[in-house]
Amino acid sequence: MVSIASAASTTYDTYPDRTSRELFAEAAADAFAATALDPPAVDAVYAGNFMGDLLEDQGHMGPLFADHVGCREAASVRVESACASGGAAVREAVHAIEAGAADVALAGGVEVMSIADIEHVTDALANAADEVYENEQGVTFPGIYALMARRYLHEFDATREDLAAVSVKNHANAVDNPLAQFRRELTVEEVLASKPIATPLVLYDACPISDGASVVLLVDDEFAAERGLDPSASVLGTGQSSDAVALQDRASITRTPAAERAAREAYTDAGITPDDVDVLEVHDCFTVAEVLALEALGFYDRGEGVRGAVEGETAVDGSLPVNPSGGLLGKGHPVGATGVGQIVELTKQLDGDHPNQVSGAEVALAHNVGGSGASTTVTILGGA
Amino acid sequence: MPAWFDELTDAIDADEGEYRVCTACDAAVLPPRRCCPECGGDAFDTHPLPDRGTLRSFTEIHVTIPAFHGETPYTVALVEFDGRLTLTGQLRGANADDVAIGDDVAIGTERRDEGVRLVTFRPVA
Repeated sequence: MVSIASAASTTYDTYPDRTSRELFAEAAADAFAATALDPPAVDAVYAGNFMGDLLEDQGHMGPLFADHVGCREAASVRVESACASGGAAVREAVHAIEAGAADVALAGGVEVMSIADIEHVTDALANAADEVYENEQGVTFPGIYALMARRYLHEFDATREDLAAVSVKNHANAVDNPLAQFRRELTVEEVLASKPIATPLVLYDACPISDGASVVLLVDDEFAAERGLDPSASVLGTGQSSDAVALQDRASITRTPAAERAAREAYTDAGITPDDVDVLEVHDCFTVAEVLALEALGFYDRGEGVRGAVEGETAVDGSLPVNPSGGLLGKGHPVGATGVGQIVELTKQLDGDHPNQVSGAEVALAHNVGGSGASTTVTILGGA
Repeated sequence: MPAWFDELTDAIDADEGEYRVCTACDAAVLPPRRCCPECGGDAFDTHPLPDRGTLRSFTEIHVTIPAFHGETPYTVALVEFDGRLTLTGQLRGANADDVAIGDDVAIGTERRDEGVRLVTFRPVA
C-alpha cells in the first residue's frame, strides 16, 4: 500500500516574475515541512509539466527540480501527458513504490503560463491536440471543447444555463479556498454575459491562465511505519487510459471513453464502486468537461450530468460534492500541476482539514484529463 | 505540412479523395496510419471520400493562435462523411449563425502562407 506522507500546493495565481523551479521548490518545501521526511530520503522524483520547453525554454525538468528540492541523487524524470501530466506523475510514483523500486517518491507538477501573451499560451496549449488535422486548421483548445459542448447541447436536454451552473458552483467554492486564483462568486447571468471565446463557450466557461506548483510525498506504508511517519491519506487505486488525440477520430464527441476505462480500472484496483465515493475533484477545464467527467465516472447517465450543478447535488453540502476546491475553473489550472493539486486538495478532505470540508469524507476520487480526453488518470484515495 | 497531408488535400482538390476502412473491424481511418487504432489490424479497403458530408459540430473561434491572428471570428467545423469518417476544417460561404448540426456541406481546400493547406466546407442547398 502507498500512503501520502504529506501534500502541498503553492497558491495558484499569476506569477510573471517567477520560474517553474522556484514554484516547484516552494511546494516541495511546504510538503517536507509537514512530515518527518527529509529530501535525501526521496528515491525518485516524477515532475509533471506540459509546456516548459515552449514557454520557458526549459526542458530536462526532472533533474532540475530534483536538484532544487534537495534530492539531487534521486532518479528523476519529467512526465508529460498534456493537462494530465500531474495525474500521470502521481501514478508513476505510486507504481514505483508498488514495484519496490522506491520507498519514498516525490510526485509534483508545475506550470508557468502567464509569462506569455494569450495567443502564445493558446498556441502552446494546442500542442495537446493534433497539429496537422486540428491546429493547422485553426482549431484552438477551447474550440475543441466548444465542438464537444455544442454537440452535447444538441444531443441532450441541456441548456447553456445548465453549463453555466457548473462555473457558478465552482467559483463559489473557490471563494473560501486560500490556494485558489479566482476567488469571486459569479452568477449565471455574469457567466453568460462574458465574452465569447469559442461559441457556445464563453470566458467564464473556461479556466484561467495560471501559474503554480503542487507536490505530494508518497511512501511505502511499511517504510512509513518503520520511520514513525504519520501519513495523511492512502492511495486505494489508480487507473489510466488513452484515446484518439484528434476529436475527428472519435466515434462520439460527447463521451470520454479514456475516463470510463481509467475509472473502471481504478474502481477495480481500489475494490470500490462509485457509490463508495464521498468527494471528487474532476478536470473542469471547461464547464462541459465536468459534466462529461461525472458521466464517464459512473455517477450520471449520459445527458444527465448537467443535473449535478443545476440541482445542487454536486455542491459541497450536496449528495455528491464535486470540486470543493473550486476546480480548475475557480482554483486555476497551472496545467502540469493540476493533477497533483487535486490530490493535495483531497488529502486535506481525508485529513478533515479542508476550507470546504465535506463531512465524513472517507473515500475521494481525482480525475485528470489530458487534451480533450486523449489521456486520463483516475486516482482513488482513502484515509490513512 | 507533411507530404501525406498535401497528398490528401491534392486528392480532395482533384475529386479523388480517399479514405481507408479496416477489413477486420470496419474502423475508418485517414493518412498516415499503418494500423487500425481500434483493433491493430493492418489490412484496409480503400473508399472514395464523398464531396459532401454533414455537420457534426461547429464553433466560432474568437480567441485564436498566432497563425490565425487577425482572422477572428472564423468558424471551425467537424464534418462526417459516409456516416463514419470525420474531417476538421473551416466553414466558408456562411458564418456560424447560418448553419446547424446536420446540415450538408461540400468539401474543398485552400492554400495558406508557408505551404499550409486548409480543409474547407461550404453549405449546399
